[in-house]
Amino acid sequence: MQLLVNGLIAGSLAALIAGGLALVYGVLGVFNLALGQMVLFGGYVTWWLHQSVGLPLSLSIAGGIVFGGVLSLFVFEVFIRPFYKHHRFLPLVTTIALSMILDGVLLLLFEERPRSILPGLKNTVQILGAYISMVQVVMIVLTFLLLCFFAYVLHSTAFGRKIHAVVQNDHAAMSLGIRAPMMHTIIFVVSGVLAACGGIYIGIDTSLTPTLAFSLTIKAYAAIIAGGKGNFWGAIFCAYLIAFLEQIVVGVQWFGMFTVPAGYQQTVALFVIIVFLLFRPNGMFASASRRA
Amino acid sequence: MDFLLHIIIMACLTLFPLLGYNIVFGKGKILHFGQEAQSLMAVYTLWVLVVQFQQPFLLALLASLLTTTMLSLLLAQLSFRLEPDGFGVMSIALHLAVLSIILNWQSVTRGALGIPRIPRGILPSSLERYALVVVLGAIAWYFFLRRLERSSFGRNLVALSEHEWHAESLGISRKKVHTIAFLLAGTGSMISAILFPPYIFLLSPLDYNFQHMIFFVMCAVAGGPGSLRGVTLAIFLIIFLREGLRFMGLPADILGPVQIMSFGLILFVAVCVRRDTLFPKQRTV
Repeated sequence: MQLLVNGLIAGSLAALIAGGLALVYGVLGVFNLALGQMVLFGGYVTWWLHQSVGLPLSLSIAGGIVFGGVLSLFVFEVFIRPFYKHHRFLPLVTTIALSMILDGVLLLLFEERPRSILPGLKNTVQILGAYISMVQVVMIVLTFLLLCFFAYVLHSTAFGRKIHAVVQNDHAAMSLGIRAPMMHTIIFVVSGVLAACGGIYIGIDTSLTPTLAFSLTIKAYAAIIAGGKGNFWGAIFCAYLIAFLEQIVVGVQWFGMFTVPAGYQQTVALFVIIVFLLFRPNGMFASASRRA
Repeated sequence: MDFLLHIIIMACLTLFPLLGYNIVFGKGKILHFGQEAQSLMAVYTLWVLVVQFQQPFLLALLASLLTTTMLSLLLAQLSFRLEPDGFGVMSIALHLAVLSIILNWQSVTRGALGIPRIPRGILPSSLERYALVVVLGAIAWYFFLRRLERSSFGRNLVALSEHEWHAESLGISRKKVHTIAFLLAGTGSMISAILFPPYIFLLSPLDYNFQHMIFFVMCAVAGGPGSLRGVTLAIFLIIFLREGLRFMGLPADILGPVQIMSFGLILFVAVCVRRDTLFPKQRTV
């Protein structure tokens, strides 16, 4: 039971990050390898506003989310838009460069020390034999509500239908009067906001360190590849699945004989990527795109 | 003088895998980010057998050659099966998976501590002589690749990178040409595996992490993708910059981030300048 709860906590974080990224991949077809750094920036700005400036938690979180949106807008306009129309592989290299720049800035501004937005002991409760803190319960519920809101926007509003149209066929959507370039920007900013929410989640649940960035990016891409590139719900389902797998692989005594060292936990996402790309490159829930 | 020799040695040792990588990424336009996986495979098979299991050097070298060749062939096969961006992500995952196994298999690899006391064997012990051996090796490797580049293999590789279907319709075998390219990249890693750890008497997994892969990409892009001369020049300049930054008198906690940021900026500027040659648009009539 404890493994399931741990998986739910880690899965909620991964779902936040992977969901936005799945939309970006579905629409633009580009990989953003600076995603982990964008996640951390959202968390670090919230930490700075709360711990150093002394703002209330709610205002600090709002500040972190706004910063995440502004940062993603800047990233899109400078590192993605000038390149992806030229060749869709170029942003892969420009975002590698961006990840290095952001890594350096993170280290300069916040140092390598772990930073927690809410330091100190957290109240834990026991649910069905598993221990979970109240903060974690709130985070899981908030993530669930946020995903429900996205489900509503994507499936029940005109804006959601426009996103679907742009995901399915850019040019056909434009011929129907949908401003596809504007939608690209909005979707990228939404993914940045979700990434910032993920950073705030980490900062509140545990602590932020600059070295987390790359593993966050890899986990998000594992979820996208396993879920079917560009499939929002597939990515979210697989984010939870990978989180549960990570917990099970290192938390279970296999055949009653041996346990897998905790160091291999990060490797689960890598093997998910390798296995899916080898045996099911379109992912579990691949959606066929419409063609003329 | 010793500092200058050190920079020359480091640049030449980087030249082996990087020029091999440049054949795949720069010349062949294959989105490959797994060069360090090949290096890890080569270097760990060789030195774990020699140092940890006291096997003869030649036997270890043969085993290392075998595992590196197998990994190179696997990468080539994967590049045929997958979409280019899928292969890019797969090669990153493969590199990180190999690194993770090395870091966690502590009873054999000693994990993050690395393997100390790597013997130099028949390699010279003085810095000047070591530099001479490495420089001569690098020159030989450079001219070998230049000769290959100007042969039918080089022309076929360029043709495939420009328009694969048209090239194949002219009888160029993509499988054959790309497999040779990956084997060349593996050979570069293999040579570096023989020379680099004995130079610093240590085999550390940190010398093969993803930051180093980014360094390779940066040199390949900055020097001009596919250009042997340009990439060689870029290696020397960037390594001089990297090592030279140490003399600016910056504290260690600032020097590291400044190095990372400056490399990121160099890579970004290089991509801006080279955007037409890095992944060129297909020619149309």
